[in-house]
Amino acid sequence: MDETVFSLSELNLSVKETIRETFNETYWVRAETSDVRHHRNGHCYLEFIEKARDGQSIVAKARATIWSNTFALLKPYFEQETGQAFTSGLTVLVRVSIDFHEIYGYGLFVTDIDPSYTVGEIARNRILVLKKLEEDGVLTLNKELPLPEPLNRIAVISSPSAAGYEDFHSQLDHNNLGVIFYMKLFPAIMQGDKSESSIISALEQIYEFKHLFDVVVIIRGGGASSDLNCFDSYDLATHFAQFPLPVISGIGHERDLTVIDAVAHTRVKTPTAAAEFLINKASVTINELMDLQDRLIDAARTILIHEEHQLNAWSKDLYHHAKSLLHTTKSDLLFLKDKLKSSVKHALEKEQFAIQKYEHFVLLSLPENMLKRGYTITTKNGKTIKSVSDIEMGDMIKTQFSDGEVDSKIVDKR
Amino acid sequence: MKNEEITYTEAKAEIEKIVALIESDELDVDELSTKVKRASELVAFCKQKLTETDTELQKILEELNA
Repeated sequence: MDETVFSLSELNLSVKETIRETFNETYWVRAETSDVRHHRNGHCYLEFIEKARDGQSIVAKARATIWSNTFALLKPYFEQETGQAFTSGLTVLVRVSIDFHEIYGYGLFVTDIDPSYTVGEIARNRILVLKKLEEDGVLTLNKELPLPEPLNRIAVISSPSAAGYEDFHSQLDHNNLGVIFYMKLFPAIMQGDKSESSIISALEQIYEFKHLFDVVVIIRGGGASSDLNCFDSYDLATHFAQFPLPVISGIGHERDLTVIDAVAHTRVKTPTAAAEFLINKASVTINELMDLQDRLIDAARTILIHEEHQLNAWSKDLYHHAKSLLHTTKSDLLFLKDKLKSSVKHALEKEQFAIQKYEHFVLLSLPENMLKRGYTITTKNGKTIKSVSDIEMGDMIKTQFSDGEVDSKIVDKR
Repeated sequence: MKNEEITYTEAKAEIEKIVALIESDELDVDELSTKVKRASELVAFCKQKLTETDTELQKILEELNA
């Protein structure tokens, strides 16, 4: 066997030389970032990967380094342009040089980055996810939920240590409406690879206690650039879209809407704005209640005043009617009195006339008057004789005339 | 008044109904005080929901493992 035998270093150096000679320029490469680590020495170590069309299997992979002097320029540039932190899971367009190290092997060195490519990719991905959600018929489900009244039992998804959560909490606690807000934190990791599953698990917990809450608020401390990757995830979005409670997103970013913002019932920019939104709702609720109360009092008062007026009117009417009735009755009485008076007078006169007539008759009928007119009174033993049968033959009778008496003896009787 | 079973929304709807009834002027005066009393109780119930701490709910939430 007379073939040449190399030592490993000889082989690696030879590969290195060949690579340096063949790939002596820099190249624009599109790839997805993975395992991005910001080392404290300022260098950034990462991997570039390419996934198959199914999005699952990896078809290419390369180690990469961004030297600290480059990274110090590229990182802020990238983050300012995209509004997105330089993290894993981003589709990027980078200019790289290729090297081969006898110990570390094949590696890429990033010299430049084109943020507009990433912006385009993020936007394209968002459009795809939104389209899929729409095809699933879930895109607007959460938006269609009515906001319950009152809106004061809040399930919060946040990182417990986030300043934004503290602000949100104290703002609601110290609202000047005197409204009570109940807040329950469902802690979640809000950035990085684990955020998606962490947020979904928080949602699942809330679902278990959904009867205790009116609304879900997802908040995150702001910052110029942040890792918003997971908020564009289809899986997360479909969970939010179909959640039975309305979701308010306040995930603090300046750039375009994430998919979560698009499916949430209400989207606000910051945790502070989320608190303001809830306080405004409470204020509307209180005002409506106060208006109802005022209307109730007014309406009841109106009825009472109306009734009182009517009673007063009736009472006046009654007085007038009574007065006029009394007046009429009085005139009637006066008339009757006059009539009575004249009737009585008339009757008295009539009686007087009759009495006078009787008096005359009585006068005429007095015995002495009768005697004067030729009648006589016959008595026997002092008793007046009214019949022949009272006298016997031979009886002595007395006959009284107006001017004297005679005694007679009965001699005949027929 | 059995308010335990009624929600804020139901209470509010009932107040609205009573107010509309009173405003419509079709209410018998004899019924007025009953209706006003009921509506006032419901308003108080709603206010309480908004501004008074429900200690029971607070306790449940505190004890909830999240």
